Amino acid sequence: MAKTLRDKLIPYTFVLPALLLLALFSLIPIFIALIISFTGLDITGLGDWSQIKFIGLQNYTQLFHDSAFLQSILNTGYYVIIGVPLVILLSLTVAILINFGQNRFFRFMRLVFYTPSITNTVAVAVVWTYMYNPSMGLLNNLFGKIGLGPFPWLSDPATAKMSLIILAVWKAIGLNMLIFLAALQGIPESLYEAAELDGAGWWQQTRHITLPSLSFSIFFVTVTTLIGWFQFFDEPFVMTKGGPLNSTNSVALFVYQNGFQNSNFGYAAAGSFVMFTAIIIATLVQFKLQKKQQGI
Amino acid sequence: MKLAKWLGISVAAAAAALLLVGCGNSSSSSGSNTNNKTITFWYGGDADTAVKPMVDAFTKKTGIKVKIQSIPWSQYNDKLLTAAASKSGPDLILMGTTGMANYVSSKSLMDISKEVKSDKNISPNNYFEGSVKTTEFNGKYYAVPWYVETRVLYYRKDLLKQVGYNEAPKTWDQLYDAATKLSKRGKNMYGFNVDFSEPTFGFMFARQNGATLIKGKTPQFNKKPMVEALDYLAKFYKNGASPKQDLKLTIGQSFGGKAPIPMFISGPWMMNSVKQDAGLKDDQWGVAVLPKGKDNNMSNTGGGNLAVFNYSKNKSAALKLLKYLSTKDSQLQYYKNSDSMPTLKSAWTDKSLSDSRIQVFRKQLNDSEPMPLIKQWDQIGQNYLKAWEPVAMQGASVQKAMDQLNSQTEQLLNK
Repeated sequence: MAKTLRDKLIPYTFVLPALLLLALFSLIPIFIALIISFTGLDITGLGDWSQIKFIGLQNYTQLFHDSAFLQSILNTGYYVIIGVPLVILLSLTVAILINFGQNRFFRFMRLVFYTPSITNTVAVAVVWTYMYNPSMGLLNNLFGKIGLGPFPWLSDPATAKMSLIILAVWKAIGLNMLIFLAALQGIPESLYEAAELDGAGWWQQTRHITLPSLSFSIFFVTVTTLIGWFQFFDEPFVMTKGGPLNSTNSVALFVYQNGFQNSNFGYAAAGSFVMFTAIIIATLVQFKLQKKQQGI
Repeated sequence: MKLAKWLGISVAAAAAALLLVGCGNSSSSSGSNTNNKTITFWYGGDADTAVKPMVDAFTKKTGIKVKIQSIPWSQYNDKLLTAAASKSGPDLILMGTTGMANYVSSKSLMDISKEVKSDKNISPNNYFEGSVKTTEFNGKYYAVPWYVETRVLYYRKDLLKQVGYNEAPKTWDQLYDAATKLSKRGKNMYGFNVDFSEPTFGFMFARQNGATLIKGKTPQFNKKPMVEALDYLAKFYKNGASPKQDLKLTIGQSFGGKAPIPMFISGPWMMNSVKQDAGLKDDQWGVAVLPKGKDNNMSNTGGGNLAVFNYSKNKSAALKLLKYLSTKDSQLQYYKNSDSMPTLKSAWTDKSLSDSRIQVFRKQLNDSEPMPLIKQWDQIGQNYLKAWEPVAMQGASVQKAMDQLNSQTEQLLNK
């Protein structure tokens, strides 16, 4: 049963539309951005391509001397290091708690925790900005009632970062909880029964049965969450514009500011490539770790 | 709306440019001799209600159909960037004065020097000097001024009276004195808002102190006139006469009632907000020309210009609309519809502009100039805000902040 040329081609025609879209909207743009990152492209060059100058690695060297960029890297690192574990921990906890029962209350809680993730980030960020308002916001008013505050939610450099993280975590829990919940319900009941016969308590069951069975979904959630937090953008863009004192600026927002506000397209492209590389490396490390784990 | 999307837009724009350069010529050159062609007008704002009636009248008169696309100002620049990159877009554009330098340098705006010089209805002499400056680059004209903005001092008459000022402060010293006295009214009370989210604020005061902002390609930000002016502003923070951070108050909360911030500098767009939201009686507040510094009381001119898109296929029709909208009648009608002040000096004799507060703006326009019109200015403004933040919040040294801003700017200008 030798395959004819036609048979060989058929699978490719099925994936072709997807590949075309990927090439048109991801690969080619990435390639163009790479070229742009070696030029001094600005608004003049945009209208008159003969004005574009190739400047080699100058954008990159300048980036790593730019204190605003370095700070945005630190900020992004902060978001990732605090945000990612927090999301995983909380969504896993919520999933385990909801998995305790099947009655109406638990179904309702599932809805409660899932609802934030179907909202639009920008709209929600605007609403949270009102809640965070120092003098007339909901939060400071409530805290004021019990004699606390007022807290400088978005106006103090140290607090502002946390305020943004709280919002992003709140929004991210729902979806990840659902993934964990599905995985939890896929663990065979017999394992728990056997453990119970052996006298294992709830904590031991969780630690030795639940968590190992969830390792793949934990991995999946980690990778997607990690990439999402590396690109942390909407919240600071809408709520703080990167301030106060540059303390909430993320790399993604830095790229946007340089590209679309200051029209330094070459410089912005270089910044986006630094971010691109960081995400690729982080993901590769994750894959390596996962492979190692599965090898055992 | 992840960053990927924003990057996607930029690259899509670049890709679109590639595609459109190829096929752009064939599409729209057909209807050059007929009357029923359609031109596109990009208008900054949330709705086109203010211009629609005027444009409809134009269509009735000339038979040229006009499609108005109103784009919110917050997205206007993104939209213009894609037009500049793809070399396809509208026929007539409303340009913010601060964006002029950018889009002249990207060759997106048509050189209309010939029209401006031959048609005395749109001759530069008809307009305020500060506005004309935003249309002229290297001796050529790229737009016609349409509406103008300038900043003045808003103040609470009743509260200032209580601290002994029957009139608005006339000099820097009086402003500082009045603000300090007003801030003594109690906790969370201030006198004057030293604006830290307005990128032109410090530069405006520097000019009043005699500063030349940029000489040739050398910025003068760390020289005495500017540093002195900023030191003066920093004093307001230090003694609590100005809030150190955005209090996120509505105008009703900051300027109405007890008015935590009884004096601030802003443009004509605040007039309606104050009237509608502050809940004040007419004699409780006023506007005044800016207090005089060592040199002058020069304010900052902004506003909007009308320009023809350089890659338009309907330039003559677009010019017709530009001229129509630039007549005195049109400008006055636009003022009535939108409160945007006319750029034609002759329009100001009309009785619709006789309101005493509006006349304060008229007076200020004699002493008002735009910020330097160079394509790097947006970024310089942003850098200034960043340099100013530590001064406001933490009392950092002005001289150091300006030294840094100066060397940053030098790099920018010489790139």
